[in-house]
Amino acid sequence: MTDHERIDALLAGYVLRSLAGEDASEADLLLTDHVPDCTGCRETLVAFQTVAADLALSTDPVAPPDTLLPRLHRELESRERRPRTLGVLAVAASVVALLGLAGTFLQGERVGTAQSRADALSNILRFAQENDAQMVPVGPTTQVAAADEVFLFGSNVPAPPPGTVYVVWVESGGQATPLGWFLPSGDGWVYRHFSTGGPYDRLFITTESAEVSPSAPGDVTWQSAG
Amino acid sequence: MGADCEDSAVQDAAREDLELHRHLLAGDVGAFDDLYERYAGAAYGLAYRLTGQQMLAQDVVHDAFLALWRAPEAFDPTRGALRTFFLSLVHHRAVDIVRKEQRMRDRNERAANLEPVAVEDPSEGVVDRAYLSVRRKEVREALRSLSDDQRQVLQMAYFGGMTQAQIAERLEIPLGTVKTRTLAAMRKLRGLLEAPA
Repeated sequence: MTDHERIDALLAGYVLRSLAGEDASEADLLLTDHVPDCTGCRETLVAFQTVAADLALSTDPVAPPDTLLPRLHRELESRERRPRTLGVLAVAASVVALLGLAGTFLQGERVGTAQSRADALSNILRFAQENDAQMVPVGPTTQVAAADEVFLFGSNVPAPPPGTVYVVWVESGGQATPLGWFLPSGDGWVYRHFSTGGPYDRLFITTESAEVSPSAPGDVTWQSAG
Repeated sequence: MGADCEDSAVQDAAREDLELHRHLLAGDVGAFDDLYERYAGAAYGLAYRLTGQQMLAQDVVHDAFLALWRAPEAFDPTRGALRTFFLSLVHHRAVDIVRKEQRMRDRNERAANLEPVAVEDPSEGVVDRAYLSVRRKEVREALRSLSDDQRQVLQMAYFGGMTQAQIAERLEIPLGTVKTRTLAAMRKLRGLLEAPA
């Protein structure tokens, strides 16, 4: 197999959700390091995603139970009583550690395809359901936190001023700890997952210089509501 | 329906989906209901085929629609069709549940059965979902054009929720062969389904 033959094979397995082990790791790396900058691979990925989704149509449609839509409506109504969510966010460790998470960050930010976003959303939902976690708005993003983990996602998140990044902090007993930083993708998409190291009182986001690691938070840009 | 009409129906449906998505962003329950009307049947059919259980399938579809409602901004119209995004979400959720349940063996037998679940097509005669019937016909024809070997690995992966390594073990063939067959199948489907209607 040529390099691109091998890449295509990995992308095919990826969209079918059938990779495991080293192949899955290699695909993750490709999606981070190669695909975003390779026009041909991006086109292949999108085309394979469309094929995979359309495979669903090879099965006859089945009418869901009559109880499903009313069940959904009850959930919709409960959501309407809460603040509107616009995204999800998760964070942990120190700023230095955050910089070390750049690879994870890039994977979430750069591979903004329909499938990767569906993956992200699926992960968040599973986490929220398994932990009975609430979605709490943080400015244009939303956090879903439980135990010592937090997810953060959002779209239409504005880019910070040039030379700055968004830094995520948690505050516990008056002590603020930076968990990580992020930059929204070109279209404002954010998806991060971190471990927080334990419970905290509030989560907030500041805008900091990209040149130095902040030892204390600057002015709060957004903070968690509710 | 002629090819031009079919193509137009698909394009119209995609545009309508985008409009419904815009309403969904504003919290319009009516748009949610319209999307449910459009895709609940396809989603439940897919989920049921993967999970093999009505309760699990119902949970999959419930989770997917709720996700769409709670985070409609996760769909980016510039990166594909809403149908692709939503059915991917349903598929991912169903595969996750299938794997979590760890009852792969029985389901794989069912998934390997190439015959679709025989049920009445609820979209029959419904104008605003006719394009799904058009696309379904195209997808089935494309699948029939694959070799048996190619179709087998594709369906074991997609409908069986199996990893390529599991498929290789089940079929007693090298992992490389599974990858080769999968790639060949996906390329052929891409070529056929991307072609103008």
